[in-house]
Amino acid sequence: MEKFRNAHSSKGFRSVLAHASRLSPLASLLFLMQFFNLLTVQLLFAQTPFYQGKTINIIVGTKAGDAYDLYPRLMAEYLPKYIPGSPNVIIQNVPGAASMIAANQIYNVSKPDGLTIGAIYPALYLDQLANKPEVRFDWSKFHFIGTPVVSNHLMYMRSDAPYKSMEDIRKASTPPKCGANGTTSTGYYMPKLLEETIATKFDIVTGYQSGGDVDLAVERGEVICRAFTITAYFAREPFITWRKKGFVNVLFQSGSKRDERIKDAPTIYELMDKYKTTEAGKRLSTVVLAAGDFGRPLVFAPAVPADRVKIVRDAFDKIVKDPAYLADAQKRNLEIDPSSGDEIQKLAKEVVTAPPDIVERMKKLMGTGK
Amino acid sequence: MLEAFSSGFWQVIAWPAFGYLLLGIMVGFWVGLLPGIGGLATLALMLPFSYTIKTPIEAFCFLLGMLAVTGTTGDLTSILFGIPGESSSAAMILDGYPMSKKGEAGRALGAAIMSSLFGAVIGALSLAISIPIMRPLVLLFGSPELFIITIMGITFIGTLAGASLIKGLLAGGVGLMLAAIGVDPQTGSLRYTFGFLYLWDGLDVTPVVVGLFAIPEIVDLAVRGTSISQAPKEKLKGVMEGVKDTFRHFWLVVRCSLIGVYFGVLPVLGANVAQWIAYAHSVSGLKDRKQAGKGAVEGVLGPGAANNSTRGGDLIPTIAFGIPGSASMALLLGALLIVGLQPGPEMLKSRLDVTFAMVWILIISNIIVAGICFLILNHLAALTFIRGSLLIPFLVVLVFIGSFTANNSLHDLLVTLIFGSLGYFMVLYGWPRPPLILGLILGKIGENYLWISTAAYGAKWLAFPSVLILIVLTVIIVAYPTIKERRGRAKYDRPEDAI
Repeated sequence: MEKFRNAHSSKGFRSVLAHASRLSPLASLLFLMQFFNLLTVQLLFAQTPFYQGKTINIIVGTKAGDAYDLYPRLMAEYLPKYIPGSPNVIIQNVPGAASMIAANQIYNVSKPDGLTIGAIYPALYLDQLANKPEVRFDWSKFHFIGTPVVSNHLMYMRSDAPYKSMEDIRKASTPPKCGANGTTSTGYYMPKLLEETIATKFDIVTGYQSGGDVDLAVERGEVICRAFTITAYFAREPFITWRKKGFVNVLFQSGSKRDERIKDAPTIYELMDKYKTTEAGKRLSTVVLAAGDFGRPLVFAPAVPADRVKIVRDAFDKIVKDPAYLADAQKRNLEIDPSSGDEIQKLAKEVVTAPPDIVERMKKLMGTGK
Repeated sequence: MLEAFSSGFWQVIAWPAFGYLLLGIMVGFWVGLLPGIGGLATLALMLPFSYTIKTPIEAFCFLLGMLAVTGTTGDLTSILFGIPGESSSAAMILDGYPMSKKGEAGRALGAAIMSSLFGAVIGALSLAISIPIMRPLVLLFGSPELFIITIMGITFIGTLAGASLIKGLLAGGVGLMLAAIGVDPQTGSLRYTFGFLYLWDGLDVTPVVVGLFAIPEIVDLAVRGTSISQAPKEKLKGVMEGVKDTFRHFWLVVRCSLIGVYFGVLPVLGANVAQWIAYAHSVSGLKDRKQAGKGAVEGVLGPGAANNSTRGGDLIPTIAFGIPGSASMALLLGALLIVGLQPGPEMLKSRLDVTFAMVWILIISNIIVAGICFLILNHLAALTFIRGSLLIPFLVVLVFIGSFTANNSLHDLLVTLIFGSLGYFMVLYGWPRPPLILGLILGKIGENYLWISTAAYGAKWLAFPSVLILIVLTVIIVAYPTIKERRGRAKYDRPEDAI
């Protein structure tokens, strides 16, 4: 393309000179001035946009069709519109190990040319803090492009259970049984965080295959509570029916402000104030809850040139304001509550510098310290 | 209710819904045929296309229609090439492929397609009938009950063991051990991962099944240097014979269909397990159990019916609670949300027509695909008479593409190769492969449910009446053949080594 352009302009140059030689001196002077004027303008813009005619590959750390996969797929439809040069954007699913395979690949293997974007899990930094040998990245060195949604969490409890508030759970002689998939799921570490910060006791039953299986177990009465994202609680069955029937209550939420839709449930920060959580406990919760603020992050490898990072970040910021994008997201039941790359970049630097005592407590909480 | 029943039918056959159904069937037909490339992966790929479809029934015609036929056409590949077209069609190989080798491909295909159709219809009708009792039906099985059912499934390893019970049990044990690979969900510790991130999620069933069953057959075909069928080429007329077989063993087909429905309703289990249980059930009823694995048509009818009827069962928890019964149902739920239908209890009330439309889609799509299959059956069966050297390159490519779709990782290919070699030696030295697969599938499920039951109820769950009934049932199932033998009613040998 570049070659073609040069050839084209040199040919143009010859023809312009040929024209100029046939004109009067003044006219030709004017003409030449005009021509150089044009030439400078043309030179300024001669550089074709980097992304023109190229293909951006978004590596998604889950299987196709997963909720984590749906966001980048929607983003992929809009990126060509906002990145100069309208590159092609394709999705490649690299599932496994809670998207750590994808994160390692983006950080170490993919060429850092700005043509590979990663869509990875937000809680991977916890593995880095826990010093897992499989982690081959430094979370804070990723260039964060942004996240289309910040996900806060809540805990529901069957309303026929004797636990109506966190106070009840603190005082209860038998702790309530909460269901979870594995130790890396929010269903596990949210109740654990509450234990660490406000001294509630939970009996966490892990091993369910999916969140849906936990919900079924709650219907059956096998377990009675579960912690997960607020978004899902308002978007899907069985929660719609549950809310209508008053089958469950929400006992807490993890955001810094109370969500409009669950005004009665206290935030974790209110609870920590109420129960006089220690400073260390508060720092621990900051580290753990940051996962929600990372949301569903899109990242570049550290060595990607800054100008390309900027182009894609700018595109991201425009996309999340595009009414067509928002309408599409609503149609697909994807909540949008974006956070820019700059914002979560700062947060990433903060969380990886957590002091050793906090990290130790975090490891205990995640079941990785055993 | 009757009104919704007929309204569902008319909405499915109305234009453009019917067009979408045909499109779905067309896609599903090929997805089923091609080994490894499963209904689930394709569903994920097709999901974005459904965003543009306007009504829930039209979207369902496309997606469910596609999913519904993969079971049937997957069976065809298993019978023709000894390569599972879908991971839920692996049990079909055990007797289907030997039939092809004997030159009875036509009969096996006829039996598979007819039993699949039966299974699908029974699955769909079970879905329709269970609408009023759906919710209690699903809630009946808690983790303790599911654990015992898993144990019941594991006891079928004995039936699938073939000539040597010891070898069967050992193979099953290896399968159970392989199931332990991955991140343990209770403590988060890594088991047998040897520093490979790929192993964190455990072994994927697809590359293991494809490797274990397909590679040895391809090697065998290459070594023999003949076509798949070793019988002389005659006119393929067995198809009608196969159809008749389905009616001859009508109650067997019904029972295996019900097994499929039952496993479909249970979370996590499903077609991958149901096929083996149905197979074990089919061959345990053979008069001459030495025929099992040597081309007994019963061994084709059982899994054929079961892996299709699970689709109906699968839909039951999905509709009753809006909680998906399997991974493919989770994707379908996503599609439904996009077209503006909230799956769940509403579908039993105001949108009952959609529920019945699903029943109709299952039935109609299977009738259509059975029709198409019968039309081209002779051409398909003729493939078994093609020289092996022409088929092999094609099969190898398909096998590896298929296993690659599991995680899009080169490790998938490695797993296929490793289990391919293992499978080859297992065949060479007379070790049965089905117990290994059954152990691999059930091991993880069993472990989880045992843990959950204990964590939730302590030791109390062992005394639940439902658990006790299931334990007694399991003991009867295990002991029954021995009791029967002792009484001298029939002298059974263990079924021959399945392959």
